[in-house]
Amino acid sequence: MRKFIPGSLLIILPGTIVLLLSCTQGSCFEETESFLKASFYDNATKTLIAPDSLTLYGLNNDSLIYNKTVSLQPALIPLNASTESCTFGIQINGVTDTIEFQYSSYPHLISKECGYTFYHQLDTLPKFTKHIIKDIYTSNKTVTNQNVENIRIFY
Amino acid sequence: MWKTFAYSISLILFLNCRLIQVQAQDTIPIPLKIKVGLEVSGPAIYYSDKNILNEEGYISVDLDEKYSAVFAAGYLNFKYSQYNYTYFNHGSFIRIGMDFNLLKPDKSQGKYWAGIGLRYGLSRFNSKVPSFQMTDYWGTTSSSLPPKTNWGHFLEACPGMRAEIFNHFSIGWSISIRMLLYTGTGKDLRPVYFPGFGDGTKTLAAGMNYYIVWNIPYKKINAILKKPVPEDTEDTEDNSDKSNSGTSGTKGNRQQGSIIRQ
Repeated sequence: MRKFIPGSLLIILPGTIVLLLSCTQGSCFEETESFLKASFYDNATKTLIAPDSLTLYGLNNDSLIYNKTVSLQPALIPLNASTESCTFGIQINGVTDTIEFQYSSYPHLISKECGYTFYHQLDTLPKFTKHIIKDIYTSNKTVTNQNVENIRIFY
Repeated sequence: MWKTFAYSISLILFLNCRLIQVQAQDTIPIPLKIKVGLEVSGPAIYYSDKNILNEEGYISVDLDEKYSAVFAAGYLNFKYSQYNYTYFNHGSFIRIGMDFNLLKPDKSQGKYWAGIGLRYGLSRFNSKVPSFQMTDYWGTTSSSLPPKTNWGHFLEACPGMRAEIFNHFSIGWSISIRMLLYTGTGKDLRPVYFPGFGDGTKTLAAGMNYYIVWNIPYKKINAILKKPVPEDTEDTEDNSDKSNSGTSGTKGNRQQGSIIRQ
């Protein structure tokens, strides 16, 4: 026994040291942005139907989020963590509406590798114009980086 | 009358033999010790990486040749920085629990330990995020999290080995597998790393500890050696008798075999 344990230690110690030294810093493979996920439904049949064309942009922002995108389901809508409300212009099959979201943002640690992001909590029901959009149903008020539907847009 | 007398004598002799057998049961003197251990890999890692300083030690008291009560305490100072955030955490922790020596007394001799420890850990830490950035469609958003003190709770299993290499001094290592119970920070702001546990973003964490231990003997006990249960000799004899009586030729062969072996 006296010989057994020191011998084992000699074998196992270097192995574990190598194992420790081989630990490298990981990479971030997770979604780091929290998007509001909007699914599109046909108002007549209440079935999931993607628009033929979808254009989406934030008011007071020059760039487009989607530009005449075909058959998109769901749309990922980025909320601004620096403000408490956000208004988007949404063009469904060539007809434009606006949707306003009011929310509160809070930090969330994704992982050591990915760092922090902001989650959002929808405070009120979305306000919207009704040119093509008939109704908006809020299915989940918490906007996270997970793939969970937040609103249903009936058009 | 003679039969009763003979039976009584036989019974006394039998009981006497059993008594002698119990008294003559093998024992081995095992010194019970108070052990003071210092973890050495923490300072060694700090030598190469100034962002993490972990110092810890423990005191254990042998309750008998198998069980020891353990109290460990330590301190952590942790800094982490990458492109989108900086994180600081410092604090202290304690662990209390038991060590179980799986070696038999004749193998351990009070000098060797190979077994498993089970602990409950409690950590008090102060963390802060001086800055973090997130870039999205709306641009870059910067924020920070102020310093906050929290209590973390966890369980730990730590199999390992120790060997006395010099008089009263041991070295050893253990693998730590920890399960997070509660961080006190809420699910959104779990600690990136916290004292005594490690990566607080995961429910399970693993680690490796290397110890130098000072052993202070305080008492000697006689540990009973459990011998393997001997086979029932009567049955064996009966069986051999039966086999011998049934096949007399086999007996002869056995005798021949034993002669050949000699």
